[in-house]
Amino acid sequence: MTAPAVPQDLGATTVPVRDGWDPAVERRARASQSFWTAVVGVPAIFSVLRLGVEAGGELQTTLLLVANVGPVNLLAGFLTTAARLLSTGLVAVFALGAVLRVSVERMPPTVRRPLFVRWADLTPAWFVLASFLMAMVTWQLLYLPLLLPAFVAAFQLTPARLHEHLVLRALIVVMLLAGYGWLLAPTLVDAWQQRELLALVLFVTPPLLALAVTGPLPGAVIRPLASITEAAVLAMLVWAALPVITTPVLPLTVTTVESSPGVTEDVRGHVVTVDDVNMVLLQERGGVRYVPVDDVRAQVLCPSEEELPRHRLRVRDYHVEDSLLEGLGRRVRPVHRTDAACRTLH
Amino acid sequence: MNDTSARHRVRSVAATLAVALTLTLAAAAGCDNRREPSLPSVRDKLRESHIDGQPKIKIGVATTEPLMGELRNGAHAGFDVEIARYVASYLGYEGDQRIEWVSVTTEDRIPALQGGLVDLVVSSFSITEEREKLVSFAGPYFVTTQEVMVPTRLKDKIRTIEDLREPAYKVCTSGGSTTEAELAKHDVKALVVKEVGDCVKGIREGRYDAVSSDETILAGFLSLYPTEFEIVDMPFGTSELLGIGVPIGDPALRDLVAFALQKSYLAGRNGISSPWLTAYNRTLGPWLKAEKAQPQPLNVPDLVDFDDKAPTR
Repeated sequence: MTAPAVPQDLGATTVPVRDGWDPAVERRARASQSFWTAVVGVPAIFSVLRLGVEAGGELQTTLLLVANVGPVNLLAGFLTTAARLLSTGLVAVFALGAVLRVSVERMPPTVRRPLFVRWADLTPAWFVLASFLMAMVTWQLLYLPLLLPAFVAAFQLTPARLHEHLVLRALIVVMLLAGYGWLLAPTLVDAWQQRELLALVLFVTPPLLALAVTGPLPGAVIRPLASITEAAVLAMLVWAALPVITTPVLPLTVTTVESSPGVTEDVRGHVVTVDDVNMVLLQERGGVRYVPVDDVRAQVLCPSEEELPRHRLRVRDYHVEDSLLEGLGRRVRPVHRTDAACRTLH
Repeated sequence: MNDTSARHRVRSVAATLAVALTLTLAAAAGCDNRREPSLPSVRDKLRESHIDGQPKIKIGVATTEPLMGELRNGAHAGFDVEIARYVASYLGYEGDQRIEWVSVTTEDRIPALQGGLVDLVVSSFSITEEREKLVSFAGPYFVTTQEVMVPTRLKDKIRTIEDLREPAYKVCTSGGSTTEAELAKHDVKALVVKEVGDCVKGIREGRYDAVSSDETILAGFLSLYPTEFEIVDMPFGTSELLGIGVPIGDPALRDLVAFALQKSYLAGRNGISSPWLTAYNRTLGPWLKAEKAQPQPLNVPDLVDFDDKAPTR
């Protein structure tokens, strides 16, 4: 523990006297540290917080969960439910960072670079690309078009980079837009008929915004935009973190228990662990129940209420609330039947 | 020079607008994602219905109509029973240990629903305007016609409705049925008994000469005595739409039952084997002259369910 600390201390004291010391380098190192701490630390803290929420705030139940849910399971469970949120945060930072960077570069060098710009500067391109890929496969199709302006902004893909001739450039843009329109036309008609105006706007406007979103922005906008978006991204993370913290770590099941001959009871809850004697169930309404293994008659996996769809739109038979991954999954196992026992409400 | 700076200005204004709009859209998307679902779901309807929380569902079925609802070796069997099992399992009551079968006769069906003895009636229950004032119907799940069954010895003598009017022939039917009203409309004097089975027994004992009822019920008795009877096709005007009876005070349950039937209808239409088709092939299918398909249920509500995201093709 102490060994690595010593050279660090030495470095801190010797650096000012060393020739060629650059405060920018140190600042970049510190920004890099804060960035990676956030990327690794936030999921770790969330995973532990979730256990407490899952246990219904009870200390003993939390300890039971801690004892039975391995760190790997916990992290994997967290990633499956939070990948969407994580990638959203990263995409927002990189897209805003790139737009602000190109705007700041036109300002006098004395202007302090906003936080997102510094983060975007330090991040290797492969990491940015990986974040976008993760967003592409985990975002719901309905919100996926928003990734287009974000991607264009993050990699500064102005229309000018498509082709040097103006006419050819326009032609390529029109063709790309036409392809997008062809892909979504049936969905747009449906959305119009169902009066889903938000869905309509979410599908139509992002590709048009992508044409102009790269910046640079006027000097007067940079400072307020940087502060507002920093606060907004933070607020979004907190706001969106709430459902992620409350999403269960363990799968929801309904277990049919026959405690005395002929009397069966359905217990809705999460299986914490099973040993030779008992099945430990964390009930959905709260409380832990130890059910003797011999009394268990049946068990089924159930969907949770949050999985109910909000929209009735499909893009080429992919439901708009599915991500590409989920949509592909449904094609691999197309028939899904909700088991009758899952309708048990109590 | 001026031209370039003007273009620059337009570009930066456009960029500002685009960034602002993108952020607004992202915020709107975030809000939409956290919104409560606006469409009613199967679960919401279950919560509204009176069966919410009941350990068992009480279903009224016939026990004396072969192929439709009968007791075979102590177990309930028949097309109506199979449909009832499917609907019950859709409502969360899977398996016979979760269903309380209540035997209802033709005339008991409405009072049983009104009196709360049963939650559903699946028993060759024809949907009529008169009955819709007293109970609710989900369906139809079957379309049948009224026919007449005669013993083989009379098959050449009774061929038309006119023949039925002859006082020499004693026509029998069950009380409280649509058939009774239809016969009266055609001036056919009918002897009314409790069950169609009593008519068939009476014919075999020589007390009656013909029995009129739904084709499905008659086919059931024909399956019991294939050599003794014959079904005569007669032009009674109306077709009978069989529906599932639900207490009139529980529209949520009616909606759920209609939705369950619609699920089966859609599965059948898409060429997948549907619960309806399985029930039909196991019971009525081999005994009816014409091939039947599940009719489209009426007044089906628009509900969302967990399997809504599944691919449609």
